[in-house]
Amino acid sequence: MGRYILRRALLGALTLLIVMFVLHLLTTFAIQLNGNPALAFFGDRVPTDAQVAAVEARYGLDDPCYDQTGNPCLGPFVERLGSYAQGDFGTDLRGREVTDIVATAAPNTLKLFAVVTVTWFVLGMGLGSVAARWRGRPTDHGIRMSSVLIDAFPIFVLLLVYRYVFAVPLSGWATSTFGADSMAALWFRPSFDDDHPWATLLVPGILLGLAGSAAFIRLVRASQLEAYTGEHVRTARSRGLPERHVVVHHVVRNSSVPVVTAVGLTFTEALAGAVITEGMMNIYGMGGVLWEAVRASDVALVVGVVTILAAVTVVVMLVVDVAYAALDPRIRYA
Amino acid sequence: MTTSVPVDVRDRESEDTGDTGPRDVGETLLEVDDLAVEFRGDDGVVRAVDGLGYRVVAGRTLALVGESGCGKSVSSLAVMGLLPPAARVTRGSARFRGTDLLALPPARHREHCGRHVAMVFQDALAALNPVHTVGYQLTEALRARTGASRRDARRRAVELLDLVKVPHAAQRVHEYPHQFSGGMRQRVMIASALALDPDVLIADEPTTALDVTVQAQVMQLLAEIQAERNMGLVLITHDLGVVAGVADDVTVMYAGRAVEQAPVRELYEAPAHPYTRALLRSVPRLAGGGTDADGRLPVVPGRPPAPGRVPSGCAFHPRCDLARDVCRTDVPPLAEAAPGRSSACHFSAEVLGGARG
Repeated sequence: MGRYILRRALLGALTLLIVMFVLHLLTTFAIQLNGNPALAFFGDRVPTDAQVAAVEARYGLDDPCYDQTGNPCLGPFVERLGSYAQGDFGTDLRGREVTDIVATAAPNTLKLFAVVTVTWFVLGMGLGSVAARWRGRPTDHGIRMSSVLIDAFPIFVLLLVYRYVFAVPLSGWATSTFGADSMAALWFRPSFDDDHPWATLLVPGILLGLAGSAAFIRLVRASQLEAYTGEHVRTARSRGLPERHVVVHHVVRNSSVPVVTAVGLTFTEALAGAVITEGMMNIYGMGGVLWEAVRASDVALVVGVVTILAAVTVVVMLVVDVAYAALDPRIRYA
Repeated sequence: MTTSVPVDVRDRESEDTGDTGPRDVGETLLEVDDLAVEFRGDDGVVRAVDGLGYRVVAGRTLALVGESGCGKSVSSLAVMGLLPPAARVTRGSARFRGTDLLALPPARHREHCGRHVAMVFQDALAALNPVHTVGYQLTEALRARTGASRRDARRRAVELLDLVKVPHAAQRVHEYPHQFSGGMRQRVMIASALALDPDVLIADEPTTALDVTVQAQVMQLLAEIQAERNMGLVLITHDLGVVAGVADDVTVMYAGRAVEQAPVRELYEAPAHPYTRALLRSVPRLAGGGTDADGRLPVVPGRPPAPGRVPSGCAFHPRCDLARDVCRTDVPPLAEAAPGRSSACHFSAEVLGGARG
């Protein structure tokens, strides 16, 4: 088990390095083709050459390779890796430390993901298990129909409808019924509140989770159906175990392996959804920061945030791999 | 090596069912009567078992013999209440000590499984759960049904592995099925069926997936355990060589029906049904006595009928060397051919006489 985790961790580190290198190449080519991002620092004003040179030096853009189209700029890349290794992720164009920005934005995104993941599990495992248990019955058809219906509404449609159709009347009703400071009033606030992160993240998180749950429900249903037909389930029944025990220990338990794998894959999709959700619900999170950084051509911030998101994804994948091995003993010895 | 039967399991359980007691030699434990099972499929209803009956007696081994698809496995799954959703029992009963299991509600029927009637499946790799340790699977029923503690369960798991002669039982209970060899896995399968000390054990082709030397060991083990515990054993097989070695009674099945029932010795000496006779002729013998004039091994000509396309009259008539007009129209009833044995053939006396003469 220890060697397996080590192997996976090394593979994860390698993946992260490759992601960083590709990211570096892309930003380098963007600079070489689109021109000097240091100019973005000055906005509408026209800087003198000395001013531009000073800014270039400050953001590590003074290397001549940025003027040679096609040059992969390995020197600045190694330099950046070195400063990352020392915990220095640089500053954005306004001089704020990237690590500070991430430290304020990341917790909100992580809270959003926590709500999303719980929603997936509750909806996916719950509805998927019910559909598999009563396959072919009206309940099953109803759940499958709903999952297709959910798929038909992308996250931004859900959020728009919620924000402009439901949020205002609901929050008005909650404020007048329970008072302006009540939990219910916070739940339905149409925008994020820094003082009550969990309460104001709940509904956007559930909506984002709902949007991702459709595929999840179908996956849980399919993998449980497969488990139901397994011979080991018949053996468990032949031991006279009650059906509930058989379902929990031989159907749900065995179908958990593909489901956990899917959590990892869906997580990366949720990263994309988080950018939209955070934008629409005014949540100060990683998605919002990234969005602003790209618009402002803030290279250091984009590179820093994407690197951190990539690191989070690699860690999630590692956790999934380890969970996979813990759930299926055949993996460890393979 | 411990081979003791832990009596405490039985005592703790006997309260709620009441019909569990010591097994007397010769006591009838399970009586299947006129069992019929149908499958609903895309091309209509198919009858897989049609009027099968047999008796399982404590301390004796009954072999259910027949070609693939003749309904031997389906009939035992019906007794266990484990038929797939497309199949259902349309007729008949399976009485365990007087209680008709097939008439019970599913949850009550399930309570009899494992404790009164247990089953060993053919492919132990598929039949054991890959994600649970062997120890867990051996005592899962014990813990879930009798509330045995984790420590008692562990001790019992080691005891069970010892019983089926798996070496290093104390370590191996922590391992997973894929870490066992085929023969050892089948022993685990047998041990898990014995966990609640069942009265009747149904073994569905327990050695088919194993290689020949291991087959003999596993059969030997089953026979020993059966004799030691005075258990009733139903051995489902297509291998007549296996039957000769361990069975006491034989029921030969063809196309969902029993065509001959007899004590094993008498059946081998003088079959009373042409199908049994053909099967026995096709068993290879070392002495070469079983070969025909060309020195080839005789085979039963043709193939067994596909379920749903069973011929009229006697289902065996297209392959039978004795077939006459009556065989094409009338289904022969399973009738007494000689004392203690029966055969479903219009000419069983002739077959019997021919074999003796």
